[in-house]
Amino acid sequence: MGIPLVPKLLRAHLAELAENDSRHDGRGRFEGRDLELEIDCLERAEGSARVRMGDTIVYAGVKFQIMTPYPDRPNEGGLMCSAEVRPVAGRGWEPGPPSPESIELGRVVDRGIRESGCINVEELCLIPGEKAWQVILDLFAISDDGNLFDAFALAGIAALKSAVLPAERYEIGEDRPLGVAKTPVMCSYHKVGGRFVYDADKREELGGDERIHITLGDDDHVHSLQKGLKGIFTAAEFDEIMVEARSKCAELRSLLDQKLAGE
Amino acid sequence: MGGYGDVQCIDENGIRLDGRTVGEIRPISIEVGVVPVADGSARMRWGLNDVIAAVYGPMEAHPRKIQRQDRAVLDVRYNMAPFSTTDRIRPGFNRRSREISKVTAEALESVVLTELYPRSKIRVEIEIICAEAGTRCAGITAASVALAHAGIPMSDMVVSVASGKVHDIVVCDLNKEEDNYGEADLPMGILPNSGELVFLQMDGDLSPEQFQEAWDYNMGAVSVIHEHMVAALKGGEA
Repeated sequence: MGIPLVPKLLRAHLAELAENDSRHDGRGRFEGRDLELEIDCLERAEGSARVRMGDTIVYAGVKFQIMTPYPDRPNEGGLMCSAEVRPVAGRGWEPGPPSPESIELGRVVDRGIRESGCINVEELCLIPGEKAWQVILDLFAISDDGNLFDAFALAGIAALKSAVLPAERYEIGEDRPLGVAKTPVMCSYHKVGGRFVYDADKREELGGDERIHITLGDDDHVHSLQKGLKGIFTAAEFDEIMVEARSKCAELRSLLDQKLAGE
Repeated sequence: MGGYGDVQCIDENGIRLDGRTVGEIRPISIEVGVVPVADGSARMRWGLNDVIAAVYGPMEAHPRKIQRQDRAVLDVRYNMAPFSTTDRIRPGFNRRSREISKVTAEALESVVLTELYPRSKIRVEIEIICAEAGTRCAGITAASVALAHAGIPMSDMVVSVASGKVHDIVVCDLNKEEDNYGEADLPMGILPNSGELVFLQMDGDLSPEQFQEAWDYNMGAVSVIHEHMVAALKGGEA
């Protein structure tokens, strides 16, 4: 992404709003934008989801490949997660090799999913040391109006949960669900006008400071954290958003479960 | 054309694998405004193809060396999402997508009134979310709608469609099996109001009579596709 021109006026405006405890679109501090979640929406993917948060729209697609297990883990398959923010998603995203921003996006989402242990990599092994399934989760942004992290993470876990191993196509038995035992969910908080807000949009990202991404699994276990961008925050601030994240993640998890049950 | 196999794409009654007759196109739906942050956008579903096109600009052209003193330049990218095909595609440009981007840009430059925006750039992004066959045609068509949706002045939109040959029978609007096992493919980009062409490719093997038949199928499909494009822009269904 090119260097965003941060208008001082925008920063001043957001700071003024913060003083009155309001946001430029009228949301409360910890209120998210309208959320749409669609599962199994891509015909060619083995698992897929589309998430819309306000004007941010992303897709996630799961594909499978056959891999040779790593020598130090002969009984395990693999999980690969990559995020792409192509220039389609906004004026600021340039063509070319993946930017540091999109690499960070992919890696933070990857850690949350991987470390939650939601995928049993041993079950992906077909012949120890020789053949295993590799799960590839591709995250793809169509429209970036801020907070791609949470949109990617939600689309990612939803796509994995809907994924079916295409064993018949590879002539190694019957197709079966990937089987994703846990539901890691991410919540991101941006410092805007001196206080943290949930689900920042593009303007708040441009006129804000540091951001913190929290991925919580079932039972509120913490699976990934990331502080991004320049800024200083206190332990008390972190405590406050952690409490918020617990209830928000639980809310998103039950929404996802509902959608999956309805499919 | 690639593969040879024993896949029977057309039965003895002239009915194709997806139930169409030889002259019929796949179902089409188009909607605009699907990329809210873009200046114009369109999504085209054509059979199993699912294509999103977004337009940004006109904007300052940089680096400077790409600027043209007398007109705008079109910066067009065609790309397939990694999960858009049966086998995953590794992200990044390849020779195929570069060529398609180039011919798409040249087709669209033929209709966009670029001389109205000297020294500027118009970005056209075409993303194939799900691919069935004929993605370049769907891409060009969707990009035309996105340009119109962005309010970019054009002499006409471009309707792109491909016909071809499978088991020595000429068929309109190839599907995946026909593209894989067929013997010829003729994609064209046609201006609906004049019948002129701005895009033409072909590969395979067609007799002069078959070529004419495929050509006529493409020309015959223009008006119905154009109706969908206009209806989407007017905010309704065709």
